Amino acid sequence: MNRGDKFLLAGILLVSLLILAALYSRFSRYSTAIKAAQAVVVVQGKVIRRVTLPVPGKSSFVVRGRIGPSTVEIDGAQVRIREAPCSGQVCVRQGWISHPGQSVVCIPGEIIIRIEGANPLDAVTR
Amino acid sequence: MKRRRLLLLIPLLLFLAILVASLYGRRSREYASDQFLMDTLISIKVYGRDPKVLKSAVSAAYAEMHRIAELVDGFPQPGTAAYNSSDVCRINRQAGLQPVRVDPDVIAMLLLAKKYNELSDGAFDVTVGPLMDLWGFGGDSPHIPPPEQIRSALALIGSRDLLLDSRQQTAFLRRRGMKLDLGAIAKGYATEKALQTLKKYGIRKALIDAGGNIRVLGRNQHDTSWSIGIRDPRKPDGIVAILPLEDAAAVTSGDYYRYFEAGGVRYHHILDPRSGYPATGNMTVTAIAADAGLADVFSTLFFVLPPHKAMEAAARLGGVDIFLVTANRRILHTPSLKGRIEILSGGGYHYEQGR
Repeated sequence: MNRGDKFLLAGILLVSLLILAALYSRFSRYSTAIKAAQAVVVVQGKVIRRVTLPVPGKSSFVVRGRIGPSTVEIDGAQVRIREAPCSGQVCVRQGWISHPGQSVVCIPGEIIIRIEGANPLDAVTR
Repeated sequence: MKRRRLLLLIPLLLFLAILVASLYGRRSREYASDQFLMDTLISIKVYGRDPKVLKSAVSAAYAEMHRIAELVDGFPQPGTAAYNSSDVCRINRQAGLQPVRVDPDVIAMLLLAKKYNELSDGAFDVTVGPLMDLWGFGGDSPHIPPPEQIRSALALIGSRDLLLDSRQQTAFLRRRGMKLDLGAIAKGYATEKALQTLKKYGIRKALIDAGGNIRVLGRNQHDTSWSIGIRDPRKPDGIVAILPLEDAAAVTSGDYYRYFEAGGVRYHHILDPRSGYPATGNMTVTAIAADAGLADVFSTLFFVLPPHKAMEAAARLGGVDIFLVTANRRILHTPSLKGRIEILSGGGYHYEQGR
């Protein structure tokens, strides 16, 4: 093997590395989608909290929506709006959600809680 | 010789650099946004290369939905700007008096509604307004109305008396007291208009979720079919089936969305315009069609029909697939969904394989 061959070999190695890097950068976008499930709380268009699921035991916290405070409860892998200040109580009645792709929405309070995560459904028709 | 080989490497490396750069440039980006509109949450997700284009496409799509929402708004306060910009309010106010000149999109919606009113022998009817008001599903305290009031509301329903002139762009409810309610069509129609707006901006991958009315463009970011769950009608966090969807819409009508219970009976907001009472044959019907406006009409139309009639009508009308859960917990779907739709067990519903 002369010097030229060595250069060629080095070149080929470099080429393979670059291709690998390029493929990896594409692949990594997909791998970021495969992550632990998270409950994402959005109030009036802003993400105010992300909770990685499941959470051991029961816990709850208060979020301030457009019309007042609502209580969000987490129990293991499931999430719900436990109390809301609105008259309709649609979000409270909806109960627990636990599958990635699902969401609970409080329309008067402009609160969205959705579950993002591993192999999610793109959406749910309801 | 050595030098020549070395020189050969330079274009090779250059070529590679370009390849890598182009791969990077082609990286598809996601842009997602939510807005509260038409009494629901509208989520739009788009994919493409240029973030600026994605952003302006989505805001144009929302603007289009906003425009349609204002045209059809049935409940604005009289005297407000919203009241004056609602074509539906103006048509209702002039019922029995005179035809009203309206937006071409309102004419398009009403023509579609009238067509399916005729094709369904009255099972689908946008002149159901007086009945909806009577049951009060739009407000805080829905209730069972007395039978004589239902009878008089039924007398005011009938799309025969909705006169449309597409050349003059006018709509007219012939009798005083008649009232349009576009609840079964407007959201789907607006969703379709929003999607067509995204297309005009060159978007080729998108998902619009309008409060559970789904319209997808192309395939998802993994370049496979969008995976759409169908909600379990009796468990808010449950899914009864998973539907793969490409370039199509899936719209669901269910008895669980707005309802009250009295004497152990569930009374929900999807009223049969022929009987005056909530339709009783199904818990949920999902309609899958190429157009979101059509799918919206179909989901209500087939929900109102008894299950076997819905299956027959879907086959007869064509251009639509349906998935439904009957009131006695049976799962049915049109034959062409077989092998595509995944039915999840565990919901306690009865599904015969091969149907």
